[in-house]
Amino acid sequence: MDSYVLTPQAQNCLQELMRIWFDFERRLGKVPIVTRLQQGRLTLEDYRKLLCQLRQQVIEGSRWITRCASSFNKDFADVRSQVIQHALEEHRDYELLERDFVAAGGTLKQIQTAPKNPGSEALHGFMMHRASQENPIDLIGAMWIIEGLGNKMAKEWASAVDEHLGHNGKLSSFMHYHGENDEHHMEKLYALLDRVCAVPDAHRSITRTAKVVARLYALQLEEVDNDE
Amino acid sequence: MNAFITSTGHYLPGEPIDNTQIESVLGKVYGKPSRLKNRILKSNGIKTRHYAIDTEHKTYISNSEMAASAGQNCIAASSVSQQQVSLLSCATSQGDFVLPGFGSMVQAEMGLSDIELNTSHGICSSSMMALKAAYTSLKANEHDTALVIASELASRLFKASRYEQVNSEQLDFNAEFLRWMLSDGAGAMLLQSEPKGLCFQIEWIKGFSHADAFPTCMTVGQPADKTIKLSWQDYATYAEAEAAGALLIRQDVRLLDNVVKMGVDGFLRLIEQGLVAAEEIDHVLCHYSSHYFKTRIFDMLEKAGVAIPENKWYTNLYTRGNTGCASIFIMLDEFRRTRTYSAGEHILCMVPESGRFNNVFMKLKVIEGE
Repeated sequence: MDSYVLTPQAQNCLQELMRIWFDFERRLGKVPIVTRLQQGRLTLEDYRKLLCQLRQQVIEGSRWITRCASSFNKDFADVRSQVIQHALEEHRDYELLERDFVAAGGTLKQIQTAPKNPGSEALHGFMMHRASQENPIDLIGAMWIIEGLGNKMAKEWASAVDEHLGHNGKLSSFMHYHGENDEHHMEKLYALLDRVCAVPDAHRSITRTAKVVARLYALQLEEVDNDE
Repeated sequence: MNAFITSTGHYLPGEPIDNTQIESVLGKVYGKPSRLKNRILKSNGIKTRHYAIDTEHKTYISNSEMAASAGQNCIAASSVSQQQVSLLSCATSQGDFVLPGFGSMVQAEMGLSDIELNTSHGICSSSMMALKAAYTSLKANEHDTALVIASELASRLFKASRYEQVNSEQLDFNAEFLRWMLSDGAGAMLLQSEPKGLCFQIEWIKGFSHADAFPTCMTVGQPADKTIKLSWQDYATYAEAEAAGALLIRQDVRLLDNVVKMGVDGFLRLIEQGLVAAEEIDHVLCHYSSHYFKTRIFDMLEKAGVAIPENKWYTNLYTRGNTGCASIFIMLDEFRRTRTYSAGEHILCMVPESGRFNNVFMKLKVIEGE
Protein backbone atom coordinates (compact mmCIF):
# COMPACT_ATOMS: atom_id res chain seq x y z
CA MET A 1 0.00 0.00 0.00
CA ASP A 2 1.29 3.44 -0.85
CA SER A 3 1.45 6.08 1.83
CA TYR A 4 -1.69 8.17 1.54
CA VAL A 5 -0.39 11.16 3.34
CA LEU A 6 2.94 12.52 2.30
CA THR A 7 3.95 15.58 4.27
CA PRO A 8 5.24 15.16 7.84
CA GLN A 9 2.66 17.69 9.12
CA ALA A 10 -0.18 15.73 7.56
CA GLN A 11 1.24 12.48 8.88
CA ASN A 12 1.31 13.84 12.44
CA CYS A 13 -2.23 15.05 12.00
CA LEU A 14 -3.34 11.68 10.59
CA GLN A 15 -1.76 9.83 13.52
CA GLU A 16 -3.77 11.92 15.93
CA LEU A 17 -6.92 11.54 13.86
CA MET A 18 -6.46 7.77 13.97
CA ARG A 19 -6.19 7.88 17.77
CA ILE A 20 -9.34 10.02 17.93
CA TRP A 21 -11.14 7.54 15.68
CA PHE A 22 -10.11 4.54 17.79
CA ASP A 23 -11.27 6.38 20.89
CA PHE A 24 -14.58 7.13 19.16
CA GLU A 25 -15.03 3.47 18.24
CA ARG A 26 -14.43 2.46 21.84
CA ARG A 27 -16.95 5.04 22.99
CA LEU A 28 -19.47 3.72 20.45
CA GLY A 29 -18.89 0.25 21.85
CA LYS A 30 -20.42 1.47 25.11
CA VAL A 31 -23.47 3.18 23.59
CA PRO A 32 -26.46 0.91 24.42
CA ILE A 33 -28.09 0.90 20.97
CA VAL A 34 -24.74 0.19 19.28
CA THR A 35 -24.01 -2.58 21.77
CA ARG A 36 -27.38 -4.16 20.97
CA LEU A 37 -26.69 -3.82 17.26
CA GLN A 38 -23.23 -5.38 17.51
CA GLN A 39 -24.37 -8.20 19.76
CA GLY A 40 -27.39 -9.17 17.68
CA ARG A 41 -29.99 -7.91 20.17
CA LEU A 42 -31.37 -5.05 18.08
CA THR A 43 -35.15 -5.06 17.57
CA LEU A 44 -36.96 -3.63 14.54
CA GLU A 45 -38.22 -0.81 16.75
CA ASP A 46 -34.65 -0.06 17.84
CA TYR A 47 -33.58 0.03 14.23
CA ARG A 48 -36.34 2.44 13.27
CA LYS A 49 -35.29 4.74 16.13
CA LEU A 50 -31.71 4.57 14.97
CA LEU A 51 -32.64 5.44 11.38
CA CYS A 52 -34.74 8.40 12.58
CA GLN A 53 -31.69 9.93 14.23
CA LEU A 54 -29.28 9.04 11.45
CA ARG A 55 -31.61 10.85 9.06
CA GLN A 56 -31.24 14.08 11.03
CA GLN A 57 -27.51 13.86 10.63
CA VAL A 58 -27.71 13.03 6.92
CA ILE A 59 -30.18 15.82 6.10
CA GLU A 60 -28.32 18.42 8.14
CA GLY A 61 -25.03 17.08 6.80
CA SER A 62 -25.88 18.29 3.32
CA ARG A 63 -26.55 21.75 4.77
CA TRP A 64 -23.34 22.20 6.72
CA ILE A 65 -21.22 20.84 3.90
CA THR A 66 -22.66 23.30 1.37
CA ARG A 67 -22.30 26.11 3.93
CA CYS A 68 -18.72 24.96 4.47
CA ALA A 69 -18.03 25.17 0.71
CA SER A 70 -19.30 28.74 0.54
CA SER A 71 -17.09 29.79 3.45
CA PHE A 72 -13.82 29.12 1.59
CA ASN A 73 -12.32 32.25 0.04
CA LYS A 74 -10.27 32.47 -3.18
CA ASP A 75 -7.11 31.16 -1.48
CA PHE A 76 -8.89 27.85 -0.95
CA ALA A 77 -10.78 27.65 -4.26
CA ASP A 78 -9.33 24.18 -4.91
CA VAL A 79 -10.58 22.92 -1.54
CA ARG A 80 -13.96 24.51 -2.20
CA SER A 81 -14.28 22.57 -5.48
CA GLN A 82 -13.68 19.30 -3.67
CA VAL A 83 -16.18 20.09 -0.94
CA ILE A 84 -18.82 21.03 -3.52
CA GLN A 85 -18.23 17.73 -5.30
CA HIS A 86 -18.59 15.84 -2.04
CA ALA A 87 -21.81 17.68 -1.18
CA LEU A 88 -23.26 16.88 -4.59
CA GLU A 89 -22.53 13.17 -4.20
CA GLU A 90 -24.24 12.84 -0.85
CA HIS A 91 -26.98 15.40 -0.56
CA ARG A 92 -29.83 13.00 -1.37
CA ASP A 93 -28.61 10.02 0.63
CA TYR A 94 -31.51 10.49 3.00
CA GLU A 95 -33.90 9.08 0.40
CA LEU A 96 -32.27 5.67 0.74
CA LEU A 97 -32.54 5.98 4.46
CA GLU A 98 -36.24 6.79 4.30
CA ARG A 99 -36.83 3.75 2.10
CA ASP A 100 -35.10 1.54 4.68
CA PHE A 101 -37.26 3.05 7.41
CA VAL A 102 -40.45 2.23 5.52
CA ALA A 103 -39.16 -1.30 4.77
CA ALA A 104 -38.59 -1.67 8.52
CA GLY A 105 -42.26 -0.98 9.18
CA GLY A 106 -42.27 2.80 9.66
CA THR A 107 -44.12 5.47 7.68
CA LEU A 108 -42.60 8.33 5.73
CA LYS A 109 -44.50 10.78 7.88
CA GLN A 110 -43.00 9.37 11.06
CA ILE A 111 -39.40 9.73 9.91
CA GLN A 112 -39.95 13.07 8.22
CA THR A 113 -41.49 14.66 11.29
CA ALA A 114 -39.30 13.06 13.96
CA PRO A 115 -37.65 15.74 16.11
CA LYS A 116 -33.89 15.96 16.59
CA ASN A 117 -32.68 14.52 19.85
CA PRO A 118 -30.43 16.66 22.11
CA GLY A 119 -27.30 15.09 20.65
CA SER A 120 -28.40 15.83 17.07
CA GLU A 121 -29.22 19.42 18.06
CA ALA A 122 -25.77 19.90 19.57
CA LEU A 123 -23.99 18.25 16.62
CA HIS A 124 -25.90 20.23 14.04
CA GLY A 125 -25.41 23.50 15.95
CA PHE A 126 -21.69 22.96 16.22
CA MET A 127 -21.29 22.01 12.56
CA MET A 128 -23.21 25.01 11.25
CA HIS A 129 -21.21 27.27 13.55
CA ARG A 130 -17.88 25.92 12.33
CA ALA A 131 -18.99 25.87 8.67
CA SER A 132 -19.82 29.58 8.91
CA GLN A 133 -16.23 30.57 9.81
CA GLU A 134 -13.94 31.76 7.03
CA ASN A 135 -11.89 28.91 5.52
CA PRO A 136 -13.20 26.17 7.86
CA ILE A 137 -10.43 23.65 7.17
CA ASP A 138 -11.00 22.13 10.60
CA LEU A 139 -14.13 20.48 9.18
CA ILE A 140 -11.80 17.92 7.60
CA GLY A 141 -11.74 16.57 11.15
CA ALA A 142 -15.54 16.29 11.05
CA MET A 143 -15.42 14.55 7.66
CA TRP A 144 -12.87 12.11 9.07
CA ILE A 145 -15.29 10.99 11.77
CA ILE A 146 -18.38 10.95 9.54
CA GLU A 147 -16.69 9.12 6.64
CA GLY A 148 -15.20 6.69 9.14
CA LEU A 149 -18.63 5.99 10.54
CA GLY A 150 -20.03 5.45 7.04
CA ASN A 151 -17.31 2.87 6.51
CA LYS A 152 -18.05 1.20 9.84
CA MET A 153 -21.78 1.07 9.01
CA ALA A 154 -21.12 -0.56 5.66
CA LYS A 155 -18.54 -3.02 6.99
CA GLU A 156 -20.04 -3.98 10.34
CA TRP A 157 -23.49 -2.60 11.03
CA ALA A 158 -25.18 -3.44 7.71
CA SER A 159 -24.34 -7.14 7.95
CA ALA A 160 -25.39 -7.25 11.63
CA VAL A 161 -28.76 -5.72 10.64
CA ASP A 162 -29.17 -8.18 7.75
CA GLU A 163 -28.23 -11.14 9.90
CA HIS A 164 -30.47 -10.36 12.85
CA LEU A 165 -33.41 -8.52 11.33
CA GLY A 166 -33.55 -10.37 8.01
CA HIS A 167 -35.38 -8.96 4.95
CA ASN A 168 -32.52 -9.81 2.55
CA GLY A 169 -30.73 -6.49 2.84
CA LYS A 170 -33.88 -4.46 2.13
CA LEU A 171 -33.56 -2.70 5.47
CA SER A 172 -29.94 -1.70 5.18
CA SER A 173 -29.46 -0.15 1.72
CA PHE A 174 -28.36 3.16 3.27
CA MET A 175 -25.69 1.52 5.41
CA HIS A 176 -24.46 -0.65 2.53
CA TYR A 177 -24.42 2.23 0.07
CA HIS A 178 -22.17 4.26 2.32
CA GLY A 179 -19.39 1.76 1.85
CA GLU A 180 -19.44 1.91 -1.94
CA ASN A 181 -17.90 5.33 -2.42
CA ASP A 182 -15.92 5.15 0.72
CA GLU A 183 -12.41 4.37 -0.53
CA HIS A 184 -12.76 7.15 -3.03
CA HIS A 185 -13.85 9.62 -0.36
CA MET A 186 -11.03 8.59 1.96
CA GLU A 187 -8.45 9.15 -0.77
CA LYS A 188 -9.78 12.64 -1.29
CA LEU A 189 -9.66 13.26 2.42
CA TYR A 190 -6.00 12.22 2.59
CA ALA A 191 -5.21 14.57 -0.28
CA LEU A 192 -7.02 17.38 1.52
CA LEU A 193 -4.97 16.73 4.66
CA ASP A 194 -1.78 17.09 2.66
CA ARG A 195 -3.14 20.29 1.16
CA VAL A 196 -4.25 22.06 4.32
CA CYS A 197 -1.80 20.82 6.96
CA ALA A 198 0.80 23.26 5.65
CA VAL A 199 -1.40 26.04 7.10
CA PRO A 200 -0.22 27.05 10.63
CA ASP A 201 -2.41 25.62 13.41
CA ALA A 202 -4.30 23.41 10.93
CA HIS A 203 -3.36 20.24 12.83
CA ARG A 204 -4.68 21.61 16.12
CA SER A 205 -7.97 22.84 14.72
CA ILE A 206 -8.64 19.72 12.63
CA THR A 207 -8.05 17.34 15.54
CA ARG A 208 -10.03 19.54 17.93
CA THR A 209 -13.05 19.54 15.61
CA ALA A 210 -12.70 15.77 15.09
CA LYS A 211 -12.81 15.28 18.88
CA VAL A 212 -15.88 17.48 19.33
CA VAL A 213 -17.73 15.83 16.45
CA ALA A 214 -16.88 12.35 17.75
CA ARG A 215 -18.19 13.25 21.19
CA LEU A 216 -21.39 14.85 19.86
CA TYR A 217 -22.02 11.99 17.42
CA ALA A 218 -21.78 9.51 20.27
CA LEU A 219 -24.14 11.72 22.28
CA GLN A 220 -26.63 11.65 19.42
CA LEU A 221 -26.53 7.84 19.46
CA GLU A 222 -26.70 7.69 23.26
CA GLU A 223 -29.84 9.81 23.10
CA VAL A 224 -31.59 7.36 20.73
CA ASP A 225 -32.71 5.44 23.81
CA ASN A 226 -33.96 8.58 25.57
CA ASP A 227 -36.59 9.68 23.07
CA GLU A 228 -39.87 10.98 24.45
CA MET B 1 17.48 -0.98 39.76
CA ASN B 2 17.30 -2.29 36.19
CA ALA B 3 16.08 -5.57 34.74
CA PHE B 4 17.88 -7.53 32.02
CA ILE B 5 16.76 -10.60 30.11
CA THR B 6 19.97 -12.61 30.39
CA SER B 7 18.73 -15.98 29.19
CA THR B 8 15.81 -17.55 27.38
CA GLY B 9 14.57 -21.08 26.79
CA HIS B 10 11.82 -23.04 25.10
CA TYR B 11 10.15 -26.41 24.93
CA LEU B 12 8.18 -27.62 21.92
CA PRO B 13 6.65 -31.08 22.34
CA GLY B 14 7.34 -33.87 19.85
CA GLU B 15 8.12 -33.57 16.18
CA PRO B 16 6.86 -30.71 14.00
CA ILE B 17 3.43 -31.53 12.56
CA ASP B 18 2.83 -30.24 9.05
CA ASN B 19 -0.51 -29.15 7.59
CA THR B 20 -1.29 -32.57 6.11
CA GLN B 21 -0.80 -34.28 9.50
CA ILE B 22 -2.97 -32.05 11.71
CA GLU B 23 -6.15 -34.06 11.37
CA SER B 24 -4.36 -37.31 12.08
CA VAL B 25 -3.48 -35.88 15.50
CA LEU B 26 -6.57 -33.82 16.37
CA GLY B 27 -8.94 -36.20 14.62
CA LYS B 28 -11.76 -35.73 12.16
CA VAL B 29 -15.04 -34.53 13.62
CA TYR B 30 -17.68 -37.22 12.90
CA GLY B 31 -15.03 -38.86 10.74
CA LYS B 32 -15.21 -36.17 8.07
CA PRO B 33 -12.30 -34.01 6.92
CA SER B 34 -12.71 -30.32 7.69
CA ARG B 35 -13.96 -28.06 4.93
CA LEU B 36 -12.51 -24.98 6.59
CA LYS B 37 -9.02 -26.20 7.32
CA ASN B 38 -7.27 -25.22 4.11
CA ARG B 39 -8.84 -21.78 3.96
CA ILE B 40 -7.77 -20.92 7.50
CA LEU B 41 -4.27 -22.38 7.09
CA LYS B 42 -3.79 -20.40 3.91
CA SER B 43 -4.74 -17.23 5.71
CA ASN B 44 -2.61 -17.79 8.83
CA GLY B 45 0.44 -18.99 6.92
CA ILE B 46 1.45 -21.57 9.56
CA LYS B 47 3.36 -24.50 8.03
CA THR B 48 4.34 -26.58 11.08
CA ARG B 49 3.48 -26.71 14.78
CA HIS B 50 3.79 -29.03 17.80
CA TYR B 51 1.22 -30.92 19.85
CA ALA B 52 1.49 -32.42 23.32
CA ILE B 53 -1.15 -35.01 22.48
CA ASP B 54 -0.56 -38.03 20.26
CA THR B 55 -2.73 -39.57 17.56
CA GLU B 56 -4.58 -41.53 20.27
CA HIS B 57 -5.36 -38.19 21.97
CA LYS B 58 -3.17 -39.15 24.91
CA THR B 59 -1.39 -36.19 26.53
CA TYR B 60 2.23 -37.29 26.66
CA ILE B 61 3.53 -34.20 28.44
CA SER B 62 1.43 -31.94 30.68
CA ASN B 63 1.32 -28.15 30.52
CA SER B 64 3.28 -27.76 33.77
CA GLU B 65 5.87 -30.31 32.59
CA MET B 66 6.36 -28.34 29.36
CA ALA B 67 6.69 -25.12 31.37
CA ALA B 68 9.26 -26.75 33.65
CA SER B 69 11.25 -28.01 30.66
CA ALA B 70 11.34 -24.53 29.13
CA GLY B 71 12.41 -23.13 32.52
CA GLN B 72 15.21 -25.70 32.82
CA ASN B 73 16.29 -25.01 29.23
CA CYS B 74 16.51 -21.30 30.10
CA ILE B 75 18.47 -21.87 33.35
CA ALA B 76 20.84 -24.28 31.59
CA ALA B 77 21.72 -21.57 29.06
CA SER B 78 22.37 -19.00 31.83
CA SER B 79 25.13 -18.40 34.35
CA VAL B 80 22.89 -18.96 37.38
CA SER B 81 21.77 -22.11 39.15
CA GLN B 82 18.16 -22.91 39.87
CA GLN B 83 18.75 -22.15 43.58
CA GLN B 84 19.46 -18.52 42.82
CA VAL B 85 15.98 -17.92 41.38
CA SER B 86 13.91 -16.11 44.03
CA LEU B 87 10.79 -15.26 42.01
CA LEU B 88 8.83 -17.49 39.64
CA SER B 89 6.22 -15.80 37.48
CA CYS B 90 4.11 -18.03 35.23
CA ALA B 91 1.41 -17.59 32.60
CA THR B 92 -0.97 -19.88 30.76
CA SER B 93 -4.47 -19.74 29.31
CA GLN B 94 -5.44 -23.01 30.91
CA GLY B 95 -3.39 -25.00 33.39
CA ASP B 96 -3.64 -28.76 33.78
CA PHE B 97 -5.98 -28.20 36.72
CA VAL B 98 -8.53 -25.46 37.21
CA LEU B 99 -6.97 -24.99 40.66
CA PRO B 100 -4.44 -24.43 42.18
CA GLY B 101 -2.66 -21.70 40.23
CA PHE B 102 -0.44 -22.76 37.36
CA GLY B 103 2.67 -21.28 39.02
CA SER B 104 2.36 -23.68 41.97
CA MET B 105 2.32 -26.66 39.61
CA VAL B 106 5.35 -25.39 37.70
CA GLN B 107 7.26 -24.66 40.90
CA ALA B 108 6.65 -28.21 42.12
CA GLU B 109 7.59 -29.67 38.75
CA MET B 110 10.89 -27.77 38.74
CA GLY B 111 11.57 -28.33 42.44
CA LEU B 112 12.23 -24.65 43.10
CA SER B 113 12.52 -23.97 46.85
CA ASP B 114 11.53 -20.90 48.87
CA ILE B 115 10.53 -18.71 45.98
CA GLU B 116 7.97 -15.94 45.71
CA LEU B 117 5.27 -16.93 43.24
CA ASN B 118 3.08 -15.16 40.71
CA THR B 119 0.55 -16.63 38.28
CA SER B 120 -1.02 -14.50 35.62
CA HIS B 121 -4.18 -15.58 33.89
CA GLY B 122 -5.49 -14.50 30.50
CA ILE B 123 -4.79 -15.37 26.90
CA CYS B 124 -1.90 -14.23 24.69
CA SER B 125 -0.97 -11.22 26.78
CA SER B 126 -0.82 -13.13 30.07
CA SER B 127 2.87 -13.88 29.48
CA MET B 128 3.59 -10.17 29.20
CA MET B 129 1.65 -9.54 32.40
CA ALA B 130 3.74 -12.24 34.12
CA LEU B 131 6.88 -10.64 32.71
CA LYS B 132 5.81 -7.20 33.92
CA ALA B 133 5.27 -8.55 37.45
CA ALA B 134 8.84 -9.90 37.44
CA TYR B 135 10.24 -6.74 35.85
CA THR B 136 8.61 -4.45 38.42
CA SER B 137 9.77 -6.73 41.26
CA LEU B 138 13.36 -6.28 40.09
CA LYS B 139 12.87 -2.56 39.60
CA ALA B 140 11.51 -2.31 43.15
CA ASN B 141 14.56 -4.14 44.49
CA GLU B 142 12.44 -7.00 45.80
CA HIS B 143 14.33 -9.63 43.83
CA ASP B 144 17.45 -9.84 41.71
CA THR B 145 16.84 -13.10 39.80
CA ALA B 146 13.44 -14.04 38.41
CA LEU B 147 12.30 -16.82 36.12
CA VAL B 148 9.30 -16.11 33.89
CA ILE B 149 7.60 -18.97 32.06
CA ALA B 150 4.68 -19.03 29.62
CA SER B 151 3.20 -22.31 28.47
CA GLU B 152 0.18 -23.50 26.51
CA LEU B 153 -1.45 -26.85 25.89
CA ALA B 154 -4.34 -25.90 23.64
CA SER B 155 -4.58 -29.17 21.69
CA ARG B 156 -6.60 -30.85 24.44
CA LEU B 157 -9.45 -28.53 23.46
CA PHE B 158 -9.27 -29.52 19.81
CA LYS B 159 -9.81 -33.26 19.96
CA ALA B 160 -12.51 -34.28 17.51
CA SER B 161 -14.42 -35.97 20.34
CA ARG B 162 -14.94 -32.59 22.05
CA TYR B 163 -16.80 -31.19 19.07
CA GLU B 164 -18.92 -34.32 18.82
CA GLN B 165 -20.36 -33.73 22.31
CA VAL B 166 -22.02 -30.50 21.22
CA ASN B 167 -25.75 -30.61 20.85
CA SER B 168 -25.84 -29.17 17.34
CA GLU B 169 -25.69 -30.66 13.90
CA GLN B 170 -23.42 -27.98 12.54
CA LEU B 171 -19.91 -27.20 13.65
CA ASP B 172 -19.83 -23.51 14.28
CA PHE B 173 -17.19 -21.58 12.39
CA ASN B 174 -16.03 -19.61 15.43
CA ALA B 175 -15.37 -22.83 17.35
CA GLU B 176 -13.51 -24.51 14.52
CA PHE B 177 -11.42 -21.47 13.60
CA LEU B 178 -8.89 -21.84 16.42
CA ARG B 179 -8.44 -25.55 15.72
CA TRP B 180 -6.29 -24.56 12.76
CA MET B 181 -4.56 -21.72 14.56
CA LEU B 182 -3.35 -22.77 18.02
CA SER B 183 -0.82 -25.36 19.14
CA ASP B 184 1.37 -26.27 22.10
CA GLY B 185 4.68 -25.12 23.55
CA ALA B 186 6.45 -23.20 26.30
CA GLY B 187 8.96 -20.38 26.54
CA ALA B 188 10.99 -18.93 29.39
CA MET B 189 13.05 -15.86 30.26
CA LEU B 190 15.53 -15.22 33.04
CA LEU B 191 15.53 -11.71 34.47
CA GLN B 192 18.52 -10.41 36.40
CA SER B 193 19.29 -7.05 37.93
CA GLU B 194 22.77 -6.98 36.35
CA PRO B 195 23.60 -7.44 32.66
CA LYS B 196 25.34 -10.69 31.70
CA GLY B 197 26.97 -11.10 28.28
CA LEU B 198 25.01 -9.85 25.31
CA CYS B 199 21.57 -9.39 26.87
CA PHE B 200 18.42 -7.30 26.68
CA GLN B 201 17.65 -4.46 29.05
CA ILE B 202 13.92 -3.97 29.53
CA GLU B 203 13.38 -0.24 28.96
CA TRP B 204 9.64 -0.45 29.62
CA ILE B 205 6.57 -2.70 29.41
CA LYS B 206 3.25 -0.97 28.77
CA GLY B 207 -0.22 -2.44 28.48
CA PHE B 208 -3.46 -0.92 27.21
CA SER B 209 -6.61 -2.93 27.86
CA HIS B 210 -9.97 -2.15 26.24
CA ALA B 211 -12.28 -4.78 27.74
CA ASP B 212 -14.71 -2.02 28.73
CA ALA B 213 -15.39 -1.09 25.12
CA PHE B 214 -15.57 -4.45 23.33
CA PRO B 215 -17.36 -7.75 23.85
CA THR B 216 -15.37 -10.94 24.39
CA CYS B 217 -13.55 -12.10 21.27
CA MET B 218 -11.96 -15.37 22.42
CA THR B 219 -13.66 -17.45 25.06
CA VAL B 220 -13.84 -20.77 26.84
CA GLY B 221 -16.81 -21.17 29.13
CA GLN B 222 -19.39 -19.18 27.19
CA PRO B 223 -22.17 -20.89 25.21
CA ALA B 224 -22.15 -20.57 21.41
CA ASP B 225 -25.02 -18.09 21.58
CA LYS B 226 -23.45 -15.01 23.17
CA THR B 227 -26.81 -13.55 24.09
CA ILE B 228 -27.29 -16.35 26.62
CA LYS B 229 -25.80 -14.98 29.81
CA LEU B 230 -24.56 -18.27 31.21
CA SER B 231 -21.16 -19.47 32.32
CA TRP B 232 -20.16 -23.12 31.93
CA GLN B 233 -20.42 -23.30 35.71
CA ASP B 234 -24.10 -22.35 35.69
CA TYR B 235 -25.26 -25.61 34.08
CA ALA B 236 -26.59 -28.35 36.32
CA THR B 237 -23.90 -30.72 35.07
CA TYR B 238 -20.69 -30.25 33.14
CA ALA B 239 -22.13 -32.60 30.53
CA GLU B 240 -24.90 -30.07 29.86
CA ALA B 241 -22.37 -27.27 29.57
CA GLU B 242 -20.42 -29.31 27.05
CA ALA B 243 -23.57 -30.14 25.07
CA ALA B 244 -24.34 -26.40 24.91
CA GLY B 245 -20.91 -25.86 23.40
CA ALA B 246 -19.81 -23.83 26.41
CA LEU B 247 -16.54 -25.72 26.81
CA LEU B 248 -15.23 -25.11 23.31
CA ILE B 249 -12.66 -22.43 22.67
CA ARG B 250 -14.20 -19.94 20.36
CA GLN B 251 -13.09 -16.85 18.44
CA ASP B 252 -15.60 -14.24 17.37
CA VAL B 253 -13.91 -13.63 14.03
CA ARG B 254 -16.02 -10.60 13.20
CA LEU B 255 -14.36 -8.69 16.03
CA LEU B 256 -10.80 -9.51 15.01
CA ASP B 257 -10.24 -6.34 13.04
CA ASN B 258 -10.36 -4.49 16.34
CA VAL B 259 -7.22 -6.32 17.46
CA VAL B 260 -5.32 -4.70 14.62
CA LYS B 261 -6.84 -1.29 15.29
CA MET B 262 -6.10 -1.41 19.01
CA GLY B 263 -2.56 -2.63 18.29
CA VAL B 264 -1.95 0.37 16.06
CA ASP B 265 -3.68 2.61 18.62
CA GLY B 266 -1.23 1.40 21.29
CA PHE B 267 1.77 2.02 19.07
CA LEU B 268 0.58 5.56 18.29
CA ARG B 269 0.07 6.20 22.02
CA LEU B 270 3.64 5.12 22.77
CA ILE B 271 4.93 7.42 20.03
CA GLU B 272 2.90 10.28 21.46
CA GLN B 273 4.24 9.57 24.95
CA GLY B 274 7.77 9.77 23.57
CA LEU B 275 8.53 6.17 24.58
CA VAL B 276 9.32 4.98 21.07
CA ALA B 277 10.04 6.32 17.60
CA ALA B 278 9.63 4.14 14.51
CA GLU B 279 13.13 5.06 13.26
CA GLU B 280 14.97 3.83 16.37
CA ILE B 281 13.60 0.28 16.19
CA ASP B 282 16.02 -2.28 14.76
CA HIS B 283 13.92 -5.41 15.29
CA VAL B 284 10.19 -5.98 15.71
CA LEU B 285 8.85 -9.13 17.33
CA CYS B 286 5.08 -9.07 17.07
CA HIS B 287 2.79 -11.85 18.16
CA TYR B 288 0.33 -11.70 15.34
CA SER B 289 -1.73 -14.86 15.27
CA SER B 290 -1.93 -15.07 11.55
CA HIS B 291 -0.09 -13.82 8.49
CA TYR B 292 -3.29 -12.04 7.46
CA PHE B 293 -3.04 -9.74 10.49
CA LYS B 294 0.58 -8.91 9.83
CA THR B 295 -0.48 -7.43 6.50
CA ARG B 296 -3.29 -5.47 8.12
CA ILE B 297 -1.05 -4.07 10.87
CA PHE B 298 1.51 -3.15 8.25
CA ASP B 299 -0.99 -1.32 6.06
CA MET B 300 -2.30 0.72 8.92
CA LEU B 301 1.14 1.70 10.24
CA GLU B 302 2.10 2.68 6.73
CA LYS B 303 -0.96 4.83 6.34
CA ALA B 304 -0.11 6.63 9.57
CA GLY B 305 3.46 7.17 8.37
CA VAL B 306 5.00 5.13 11.21
CA ALA B 307 5.77 1.89 9.43
CA ILE B 308 8.85 -0.06 10.47
CA PRO B 309 10.44 -1.61 7.35
CA GLU B 310 9.46 -5.22 6.75
CA ASN B 311 13.04 -6.51 6.89
CA LYS B 312 13.15 -5.55 10.58
CA TRP B 313 10.22 -7.82 11.47
CA TYR B 314 11.05 -11.25 12.85
CA THR B 315 8.70 -14.12 13.62
CA ASN B 316 8.79 -17.89 13.93
CA LEU B 317 5.00 -18.23 13.78
CA TYR B 318 5.13 -20.13 10.50
CA THR B 319 7.36 -22.94 11.83
CA ARG B 320 6.60 -23.05 15.57
CA GLY B 321 2.88 -22.27 15.37
CA ASN B 322 0.74 -19.93 17.40
CA THR B 323 1.31 -21.00 20.99
CA GLY B 324 -0.84 -18.29 22.59
CA CYS B 325 0.90 -16.59 25.50
CA ALA B 326 4.06 -18.66 24.96
CA SER B 327 4.53 -17.36 21.40
CA ILE B 328 6.35 -14.13 22.22
CA PHE B 329 8.75 -15.96 24.58
CA ILE B 330 9.44 -18.74 22.05
CA MET B 331 9.96 -16.03 19.43
CA LEU B 332 12.44 -14.02 21.52
CA ASP B 333 14.27 -17.23 22.41
CA GLU B 334 14.76 -18.25 18.78
CA PHE B 335 15.63 -14.70 17.79
CA ARG B 336 18.28 -14.62 20.52
CA ARG B 337 19.75 -17.96 19.49
CA THR B 338 19.71 -17.57 15.71
CA ARG B 339 19.82 -13.89 14.75
CA THR B 340 22.54 -11.31 14.86
CA TYR B 341 22.02 -8.22 16.93
CA SER B 342 24.46 -5.86 18.55
CA ALA B 343 24.82 -3.63 21.59
CA GLY B 344 22.81 -0.42 21.35
CA GLU B 345 20.09 -1.86 19.10
CA HIS B 346 16.42 -1.63 20.08
CA ILE B 347 13.82 -4.37 19.90
CA LEU B 348 10.10 -3.73 20.04
CA CYS B 349 7.87 -6.59 21.20
CA MET B 350 4.11 -6.40 20.68
CA VAL B 351 1.35 -8.69 21.87
CA PRO B 352 -2.08 -7.57 20.69
CA GLU B 353 -4.49 -9.98 22.38
CA SER B 354 -7.89 -10.76 20.98
CA GLY B 355 -9.34 -12.28 24.18
CA ARG B 356 -10.92 -9.01 25.19
CA PHE B 357 -8.50 -6.56 23.62
CA ASN B 358 -5.48 -6.22 25.86
CA ASN B 359 -2.35 -5.02 24.09
CA VAL B 360 1.05 -5.19 25.70
CA PHE B 361 4.23 -3.66 24.31
CA MET B 362 7.83 -3.91 25.45
CA LYS B 363 10.98 -2.11 24.40
CA LEU B 364 14.33 -3.80 24.83
CA LYS B 365 17.84 -2.45 24.39
CA VAL B 366 20.69 -4.78 23.54
CA ILE B 367 23.42 -4.41 26.21
CA GLU B 368 26.88 -5.94 26.41
CA GLY B 369 27.35 -6.99 30.05
CA GLU B 370 30.38 -8.58 31.71
